[in-house]
Amino acid sequence: MIFHKKVVFAVLLSLTLVLGACAPAASQPDAAAGEDAAAEGLTIGLILVGPRNDHGWSQAHYEGGLFVEEHLPGSQVIVFESLNPADKPEATVASVVADMVEQGAKLIITTSDEFEEDTTTVAASHPEVVFINVSGDDARTGEAPANLGNVMGRMEDMKAIAGCAAALNTQTGHIGYVGPLINHETIRLTASAYLGARHCYETYRGEDPAALKFDVTWIGFWFNIPGVTLDPTEVANNFFDTGVDVIMSGIDTTEAIDVTAQRAAADEAILAVPYDYLNACDSAPAFCLGVPFFSWGPAYLALAESVAAGAWEQSWDWNAANWDALTDPGQTDVGWLDGPALQGQAASDLHDFIAKLAAGEVDLWAGPVNLRDGTVYVAAGQSATDEQIWYLPALLQGMGESQ
Amino acid sequence: MTRPAWLAQLWTLAPVLAALLLTSLLLVAFGASPAEAFSAMWQGAFGSQDRLLTTVAFWIPLLLSALGLLVSFRAGLWNIGIEGQFILGAIGASWVALSLQLPAPLQISLEVLAAMAAGALWAALAGLLKRWGVHEIFGGLALNNLAVILTNFMISGPWQPPEGGSFRGTAPFHADALLPLVGSTRFSLVALALAGLAFGLVLLALRNSRWGLRLKALGRNPRSARLLGVSSRRETLLAMAFCGALAGLGGALRVLSWFDSLRQSISGGIGYLALMVVILAAFRLFWTPLVAFFFASVLSGSIVLQLRTQLHSSLGDILTGVMVLLVLLFGNREVLQTWWSEVRSARRTPGRQS
Amino acid sequence: MRVELDKISKSFGPVQANRGISLTFEAGRIYGLLGENGAGKSTLMKILSGYQTPDSGRILLDAVPQQFRSPLDALAAGIGMLYQDPLDVPPFTVLENYLLGQPGGLAIPRRTAADQLRQLGQHYGFDVHPHERIEDLSLGERQQLELLRLLSGGAQLLILDEPTTGISAEQKSVLFNSLRDLARKERKTLILVSHKLEEVQDLCDQAIVLRQGDYVGGAKLPCPSRKLVNLMFAELPRRAPRPRPVAGTPQLELRDLVVRTPRLALQPVDLSLHAGEVLGLAGLEGNGQELLLRACAGLLPLAGGELRLAGQRQPRLDYLAARKLGLHYLAAGRLEEGLVSGMTLAEHMALVSQNGLFVDRAASRAQTRRQIKQYQIVARPGSRVEELSGGNQQRVLFGLLPDDAQLILAEHPTRGLDLRSSDWIWQQLDLRRREGAAILFLSADLDELLERSDRIAVFSGGRMSRLLDARQTSLNELGHLIGGGA
Ligand SMILES: Nc1ncnc2c1ncn2[C@@H]1O[C@H](COP(=O)(O)OP(=O)(O)OP(=O)(O)O)[C@@H](O)[C@H]1O
Ligand SMILES: [Mg+2]
Repeated sequence: MIFHKKVVFAVLLSLTLVLGACAPAASQPDAAAGEDAAAEGLTIGLILVGPRNDHGWSQAHYEGGLFVEEHLPGSQVIVFESLNPADKPEATVASVVADMVEQGAKLIITTSDEFEEDTTTVAASHPEVVFINVSGDDARTGEAPANLGNVMGRMEDMKAIAGCAAALNTQTGHIGYVGPLINHETIRLTASAYLGARHCYETYRGEDPAALKFDVTWIGFWFNIPGVTLDPTEVANNFFDTGVDVIMSGIDTTEAIDVTAQRAAADEAILAVPYDYLNACDSAPAFCLGVPFFSWGPAYLALAESVAAGAWEQSWDWNAANWDALTDPGQTDVGWLDGPALQGQAASDLHDFIAKLAAGEVDLWAGPVNLRDGTVYVAAGQSATDEQIWYLPALLQGMGESQ
Repeated sequence: MTRPAWLAQLWTLAPVLAALLLTSLLLVAFGASPAEAFSAMWQGAFGSQDRLLTTVAFWIPLLLSALGLLVSFRAGLWNIGIEGQFILGAIGASWVALSLQLPAPLQISLEVLAAMAAGALWAALAGLLKRWGVHEIFGGLALNNLAVILTNFMISGPWQPPEGGSFRGTAPFHADALLPLVGSTRFSLVALALAGLAFGLVLLALRNSRWGLRLKALGRNPRSARLLGVSSRRETLLAMAFCGALAGLGGALRVLSWFDSLRQSISGGIGYLALMVVILAAFRLFWTPLVAFFFASVLSGSIVLQLRTQLHSSLGDILTGVMVLLVLLFGNREVLQTWWSEVRSARRTPGRQS
Repeated sequence: MRVELDKISKSFGPVQANRGISLTFEAGRIYGLLGENGAGKSTLMKILSGYQTPDSGRILLDAVPQQFRSPLDALAAGIGMLYQDPLDVPPFTVLENYLLGQPGGLAIPRRTAADQLRQLGQHYGFDVHPHERIEDLSLGERQQLELLRLLSGGAQLLILDEPTTGISAEQKSVLFNSLRDLARKERKTLILVSHKLEEVQDLCDQAIVLRQGDYVGGAKLPCPSRKLVNLMFAELPRRAPRPRPVAGTPQLELRDLVVRTPRLALQPVDLSLHAGEVLGLAGLEGNGQELLLRACAGLLPLAGGELRLAGQRQPRLDYLAARKLGLHYLAAGRLEEGLVSGMTLAEHMALVSQNGLFVDRAASRAQTRRQIKQYQIVARPGSRVEELSGGNQQRVLFGLLPDDAQLILAEHPTRGLDLRSSDWIWQQLDLRRREGAAILFLSADLDELLERSDRIAVFSGGRMSRLLDARQTSLNELGHLIGGGA
């Protein structure tokens, strides 16, 4: 027995010695090259809350980083993924930032509202580095130190388009929305989707908007954490089991469209609108109405260029879509891409709606807008301000909610 | 049949080395240089004073949990519920932090006591369940889930921050509720002192106390222990509670120094990690801090590893996982055997009382 | 196969367990290995079977020197051993356990292997159920299984270390019959280690006697038992006379006591046991006497009736509470129920005799040393209990009894002890009873029951007989009652 163990051990040992001898020699040159490049250009730290290949929120940011590397010569993006206490109990925003700074990062982008407070704190201790927190508002409220700015795409319009696409296609008049956790961002996005859906249900289909059922289920986090959040797969299935025939996703990952694809394959007439990531329709094109997507490349490139040039100034950016290039991730910060399942009259109605939004002919936030409990939020005859939309406190009258 | 003592001692290191080898192979397979990777890890764990202190700060709660497990293992208990006890400790400390406003020393003492009490209580619950015929592995797992649910309920309900909405955690505690930190790190001397104290206490309990002797008898042979006058009910509860208290303390340090508030996934599996630590340390007291420190270093170092190499981020997890697997495979068959027979007997006779 | 031991020596620290022992074993013969507790019998056999390595000396099989690194090595060479203490029970089924020992092992299809095993069992007269779990088997059945494993592994020489201590008379006669067949028909060599001279006389062709690590002589069997006893003990054991009973106050009173287990229900028992009295329980294993003993100690719940300890009614007796009242229980399986493997003598002592938060090591070592001396235990305070010879373990158990024990309940108090040790144990028990302790014990040894008890109760099918006066009754009467007679 013992003899046996020794043999195995000896074999393993000699193996590593051999490997150890060859391997470093092979890879040293590129390591050196990497360092040189970093010395010339701008190093950007990108902190992701989920994995870089989640086909959702985090991947969109990751690709934004690649876009910068491609368009800003000499720049290098270092990524830290899955920074959340469940996946990485050993890491904190502060420690990752410290390591990135040591690696030479001059611009650090924290890509979740989860990081908002920690970013504000840590930015103060690295005044020489520019910090951008995506989706935060500290630069707007004045809580942020001078080296911290915020960026967000104006996804609300795209969500309205997504809601409209859902409303144009529902046969049962019942739309399900898989929501992440509850905060200002998710509330206003979900509400925008509802407003778009309501508008199109009434305008293009001639139905009573009050008859449209629009149910939101909050799973509890941006993505599934087994045992912690509701399971989005179950939530989606549950929607379809209770009469929903078009499902919208507000979470970072792809369960909504995955479930739709599975069940549609068994001949159910159901459709989905995924979220976040440009290619989100790819996994089930036949049942995908289109995707509202974030494209962080243009905004990140602009930021990187201004930091590289020493011209960056603190701001709170809520970037609207480039309506003329709504499908081009290289030119717009938020966009909408039709899905293959969007056909015929519904497609032309949707494009009409988009054109009207772009032209400012439709204002979804025109009063009266009532909160779910019936309180008036925007009085009749008025239109919501940016601030009112950003800080919308609750879902709207007519929406169903559970968590 | 008998190995020399020094070899038996050093045998602990064998799976560690083997795991390093295997990970090296993996790295090569991914086209990365093991030497560079390990040097990045070294840098990340010990590269500067701040980094070293960060590693230590992560090590302390892990160590506390592992120390607690030494006691429950001594009594022959598989306290998988340690994760939940850790979380309950965090909740207990948060409760005091959010509801009282006292001078710092008093405030922190109360937080620590509340955390230890909460952890002990949660553990005792698993002990009680065992008395009623639910094996501590299953009872513990259920209580772990319950602890997570309780955290989520608290942070999205009663302890929601004033600006509302977020599911991330409570608002930061007031300054007097938090442990004094060194520089810009999460390291606290108070935490270190508490860990040292806990080590001494466990040392005393296991090596010198009659209680430790009773636990040893109970763990090795419950039937003989009973005839020698050891009450398995009482000692099971006490051993669980002791372990829970230390885990709870670990949880408290997590909210009071590593973070500044109660967060979702406050533990992130540190309890489970502690189980791996004691198994790797083969339940030996003096090896436990070393192995725990090794785990802390690997995980802490894997941050820089990811930044430098841009490889898959769970390399640190892979390394520790492979290590424990190897221990089970050839480092310590005894552990595997007892574990296996435990699980089997648990599955077979859920109603068994001992 | 001819097996030779050539000048085998082995010591454990200061203890010389075997000193230059040379022996020869011929094929087709049955040897009886005798010697007092701690004489080195088990050690010698463990060396022969590859479980331990000798410090010096050689093992030769058909004149070829061998080096065994493990019991598997030895078995491959044809030597198999049944150990005195059943090794830890792994969580396996009978079949799995059997397969693990086979060359080719788990690769053998289960169906075939199960058939093989059943046939093998039939061949040797054992009833084998391949899918039972080892932990559910009786000691006797585990032995049979182990024997089959060794035989199918190709054992030519079989060693049985005190195989009859824990098994029923029935299992014993099955075992002996198959052992005889093995020697006569299959020309195997058998070595039986035992303290029971009658057994050795009955089964063996030749006796070999060890004393304190030395080979001191042998004898062709049968021969006068005196001769063997003379060889075994340097000085002849002195038989202590039976003391007169001194009946005092009642220590244990039972009224219509009922105990039920899934296997057996004990019919209502009435009994009272007085200070200074010894009551023996007879019966074949599993007829209820164990249930009574355990119920009296609070180790089994009562299903009805009344139990009084020293006059106090105990409706819900628990063993831990009973201990505080001076009741102590000595179970039969020393390492399974009684002592804790891995703990030293001194640790055991500290566990049972000290109070206070911390262990006073010096005190417990001193106290252990005193007990070692008084109970003539071959060990040091720092020895782990599993290192002791079987007889010494038994002595440790007695050494752990506190001085103020009022009621001693013992299963097989002298199982595995040599003549002198068992006599000595009874001297100790008699001392206790003179100081006022009451003793209730069960034994499979009728001579012991007759000789040591004041009164005897016989169990058959869960029913207790009337109480017999040990001085008036006879082996015949006991045998009749054990068989279920009235
Ligand atoms: N592993 C061990 N470590 C220390 N001492 C040992 C060990 N094994 C045996 N001994 C000692 O060697 C001596 C011989 O022991 P052995 O078990 O061979 O006796 P035995 O003749 O089988 O006695 P018994 O009839 O009581 O079983 C004893 O004094 C025992 O304490
Ligand atoms: Mg022996």
